[in-house]
Amino acid sequence: MSARKAKWVKCAFSEMNLTSSPASSGATPAKRTRRTGSLSELSRTQTENSSITQNVVDLTSSENDEEPPPAISENWIEGFAPSSSEELAVHPKKVGEVRSWLLHCEAVRKKFPAQICLLTGPTGAGKTATLRVLAREMGYQVQEWINPVDCEVVTVLGDQPSGSGYVGSHFEAFKSFLLRASRYKSLLVSQEKRLLLVEDFPNIFLGEGEASFEELLDDYSSYGKSPLIFIVADSKSRGLNISFRLFPEQLKAKHRIEHITFNPIATTIMQKSMKSFCSVMQKPHNKTIYKVPAQTVLESIVVGAQGDIRNALINLHLSSLLGVPSMPTKKLDVSVAATTKGRKTKAQSTLKSIGRDESITLMHAMGRVMNPKINDSKRLQHSPEGITESFRTEPRNFVNFIHANYLPHFKDIGDIVDAIHDLGLADCMLNEYRDDNLSVMGLNLAIRGAMLANKEPISGWIPVRGPKKIQVKADASLEEQNLLGVRYAAISKSLYATEYRSMVKLIAEKLKDSGQTTRA
Amino acid sequence: MALWVDKYRPRELSKLDYHKDQAENLRNLCKQSDFPHLMFYGPSGSGKKTRIMCLLREMYGSGVERLRSETMTFTTPSNRKIEVMTVSSNYHLEVNPSDAGIYDRTVVVDLIKQVAQTHQIEISGQREFKVIVISEGDELTKDAQHALRRTMEKYVATCRIIISVNSTSRIIPAIRSRCLGIRVSAPSEPEIVSILQNTCKREGLTLPPELAKRLVEKSERNLRRALLMLEAAKVAKVPFTANQEIPDLDWQAFLRDTASQIISEQTPAKLEKIRERLYELLIQGVPSNLIFRGLVENLVNNCDMSIKAKTLEFATEYEHRMQAGAKHIFHLEAFVAQFMNIYKKFLSELVLTDDF
Repeated sequence: MSARKAKWVKCAFSEMNLTSSPASSGATPAKRTRRTGSLSELSRTQTENSSITQNVVDLTSSENDEEPPPAISENWIEGFAPSSSEELAVHPKKVGEVRSWLLHCEAVRKKFPAQICLLTGPTGAGKTATLRVLAREMGYQVQEWINPVDCEVVTVLGDQPSGSGYVGSHFEAFKSFLLRASRYKSLLVSQEKRLLLVEDFPNIFLGEGEASFEELLDDYSSYGKSPLIFIVADSKSRGLNISFRLFPEQLKAKHRIEHITFNPIATTIMQKSMKSFCSVMQKPHNKTIYKVPAQTVLESIVVGAQGDIRNALINLHLSSLLGVPSMPTKKLDVSVAATTKGRKTKAQSTLKSIGRDESITLMHAMGRVMNPKINDSKRLQHSPEGITESFRTEPRNFVNFIHANYLPHFKDIGDIVDAIHDLGLADCMLNEYRDDNLSVMGLNLAIRGAMLANKEPISGWIPVRGPKKIQVKADASLEEQNLLGVRYAAISKSLYATEYRSMVKLIAEKLKDSGQTTRA
Repeated sequence: MALWVDKYRPRELSKLDYHKDQAENLRNLCKQSDFPHLMFYGPSGSGKKTRIMCLLREMYGSGVERLRSETMTFTTPSNRKIEVMTVSSNYHLEVNPSDAGIYDRTVVVDLIKQVAQTHQIEISGQREFKVIVISEGDELTKDAQHALRRTMEKYVATCRIIISVNSTSRIIPAIRSRCLGIRVSAPSEPEIVSILQNTCKREGLTLPPELAKRLVEKSERNLRRALLMLEAAKVAKVPFTANQEIPDLDWQAFLRDTASQIISEQTPAKLEKIRERLYELLIQGVPSNLIFRGLVENLVNNCDMSIKAKTLEFATEYEHRMQAGAKHIFHLEAFVAQFMNIYKKFLSELVLTDDF
């Protein structure tokens, strides 16, 4: 039912800047984008993107030097896509890992065609780009699953779309995609080798569908005929983490799923690719649109993107459009330490109002609170306000963490007094439910207390401990309960602990002993 | 076999050992057909529960002594299941809502509704209402107390409530005004001595007067504690001798030890150890206000006159905060840190003055 549609002839009027063949220019197609180009319409429930354009009859390559229309084409980002594995901004080792997996697939193609691979990593780390580039180099046709928008097509029998049929359809569609697309090739595509790509997980798996997903993989590994790749972006919370929920360890072991983890792109590589982006911008057909921004702006973009190359590219695009004023940048307080070569300390700056928000983990923040850094101007390097902002949704938890961890960092009892004083006040403020702002103020107070009270922090590695949970012990033993009889139920836990326990324990022990001796 | 505390507990109002006038008043109260909500207040171990049970017996006859314990399950609005143990007879139900922690409101409301919505089966000669005994009423949250106030009014036809509290100061005025307050003061020392002597006589033992006196002192006029100590002492050694050892309350000994550790060393590492000890006490279920009080008493007894006032000042401040806050350990720790600080300063000054 999936009507596969491939481009076999290229439209001469659109996507001009894409059509140059890789040999003739650096600007070539297919990066990470899901290319739903003007030609390949979404057909029915499934569309696979033929991202490979090599086999397309290229009608425009000879006219490459002609000026394109000065408007930015819809998918301008593809103009900057890497065309070969050398151009990828990903670390060569990672590229090598993916390549060796693909080679492995090829080697065992006859015997075990249904290999499965899982690529994870933060957004914009080049997961999809790597795969697409390698697939093209090795002559694979990538067939991607995209969640269908319209489900009614599936209820083909003319039935009323009943509840169950509607719910099942996504799953069925996905299953048939996996099994059929891996077996039968398109009439219009010359390549023999196919590669299935799932980046868009059907919603049904995200809720409670782990079991059905596992079944599906079982089916696939016995019936599938092509390598299958899942691409999952990391997410911070566990509940949303697909790689964690859908791919537990035993499932990975069962199907020998190759798990390759991508890292955020390193700053140096990012800077290099920014340069190559700039060189693309200076190409004649781009000159009408772009001007290359100043060096400081480029650096700020790299800093602000935090290893997300897609984000960096978007910022670059925005800041280099002709007729756009230069982007305002703001200084960061971070100062890079002078290197041995005697380079001057260089203040980093980031883009104002654009770029990714910095997010820090709890452990990271604990480190900043416990070992506060003071910079040259006698100010805290990480402001307490900044840390407060990051944890304003869970103030109680953070304060508990501070309490559990602050003690080993202090040398003097006098400093501790100040810190615990503030923590106590913060506790009272957090307990005040009538004003929302108070809890944030309390958190701020606790953070400031811990950061500022410590005059001479103990440095060194001190492991972070979780806050202690107080669970009142299950009370009396059976003998003790027997002693008290039915009245035991009416004694509250605290009363039992303070008044009864120590005496009753003595009496019960004695009784037990005497009971044993008489029996003996 | 039962503990002496239960075994020799007076069962009837006429057999109470002390506060006899009050017992007479309570009997008169029962003679009337109607009966108000009651609130018994007084220190721990003064006989509130005993009086309540005697009163119930006076009203319903010996049927109230056929007790059964039952675990009731309540569901909070947030769909959390909590289990509360109750002790009940056909005529009354005794519950400790404070064990439900912050969910005590649900317990109070649901329980009273359940009990109050059913009428007594046989009305002949009996009262037409049931009694709900709420022990440790002062541990109830404000929320629960307000809920209690409403339900008290609503179901007054079918149930009466008897609250037993240590101090009325933590009971909201609305409830205080709806209840008849009955003060049960702690028994005086001679009264306790005579009760201890009586108990020993009935057990066929002789209690030396010196030991009795020491027991009373150690029990802090808490009759229940005195009786339990007596029984524990008997278990340890019979016949009694005048200077025999009286077993300590575990947590009190533990606190004493903690206090002496605080005095011995004032460093962050020690503070950490003290924190562990405080956690230990909290896990045992000792209420934080008792821990605080015990700590302050022990520290003040062991330190120099010049820093006593300062210590007490900090104690009041952090005690107050502990009531306002939720994490009691923070405030206990804060007090310990403050004390360590002033004690350390005191010691260093002492060394200086000694030198010159």
